[in-house]
Amino acid sequence: MRMNETEKELVAIILSGRSEAFEPLVAPYRQSLLALAFRLTRNWEDAREVAQEALLRAFKYLARYDTSRSFRNWLFQIAANEARDRSRKRLREADVIENAQRELPAANDPESGRRSQEFRSDLEKCLSVLGRREREVFILRDLEEMDIKETARALGCSSISVRVNLSSARRKIRDTIRTLYPHLEEGQ
Amino acid sequence: MTCRKVKKALPLLAGGDLPPGKVRKVLAHLERCSTCREELAEYKRALGRVKAAAREEGVKDWTGAEWQALIAGIAASKTRRRGPAFGLRSRWALATGLAAVIVLAATVFIFKDAAFRRQEILPGSSPDVVSVTMVSHETGLQVVWFLNKNFEWKGDQK
Repeated sequence: MRMNETEKELVAIILSGRSEAFEPLVAPYRQSLLALAFRLTRNWEDAREVAQEALLRAFKYLARYDTSRSFRNWLFQIAANEARDRSRKRLREADVIENAQRELPAANDPESGRRSQEFRSDLEKCLSVLGRREREVFILRDLEEMDIKETARALGCSSISVRVNLSSARRKIRDTIRTLYPHLEEGQ
Repeated sequence: MTCRKVKKALPLLAGGDLPPGKVRKVLAHLERCSTCREELAEYKRALGRVKAAAREEGVKDWTGAEWQALIAGIAASKTRRRGPAFGLRSRWALATGLAAVIVLAATVFIFKDAAFRRQEILPGSSPDVVSVTMVSHETGLQVVWFLNKNFEWKGDQK
């Protein structure tokens, strides 16, 4: 997907110093950017922050943007990087919390666990079986419909790596649907 | 192609991501293998279901006011960022200058040391200044003469 002429003009206007052209440039992607951020982070609060940071960085580094690429994919690449950084940070924080909780007496509340399980969407259940890289690749390629090359570029890896992870992700999702969620498989 | 090889290629084929060279071979196998055909259909159904679930999942959006505030904040960041950005450049310039001075000092030190060593070890070389120490056995008085390389007297020390 290449950049369209209107976007090219808007980028040129912004780079000439008229920042008011930024809104029309990013407005078509405002919801899809937030949706991507949510699929990557699975948390609306984080998703908002990721999307905001992506927009801020896109504005800040617009001069470095290669206009032969799709603006949408470039914006999504920034969001994917931001989501990955945030996820790593969260993991580190979670480790600290987990270590602290281990020292506290276990507060068993099976009811709240069951409730939170019920509230997880089918999509989330499917995505939860994937590893971090598989999940990123699957979301960008299959849900956001980037091509293999763009997905590789967005994630900073090779096309071969994307294919390997994509293949593995699709296999895991097929297995998940087949074994755990036959209602999805049957289309009910 | 064997079923085993084809089954490995099916996840990519289901999403249209198999390299063209392989597609023909896999399709040729699928024409005569109903098991692999069924498995491909299963992958396609699974992918279709997940995509549909993603579409059905409620996607939130910024409210109009939130969006306008966000965009205004981003536009305003352009002017706010100039100060720190310049500061960052200055810090880089300072660090680069400091590094250059350190490298220069290290170079001078190394070459000075090397020149001194060369003076010591080169055959036929002579030091610029020589000293001759004379000690009286009776009084213990020491007299040191300093001479240049032409043995011209440069001074003494008692």
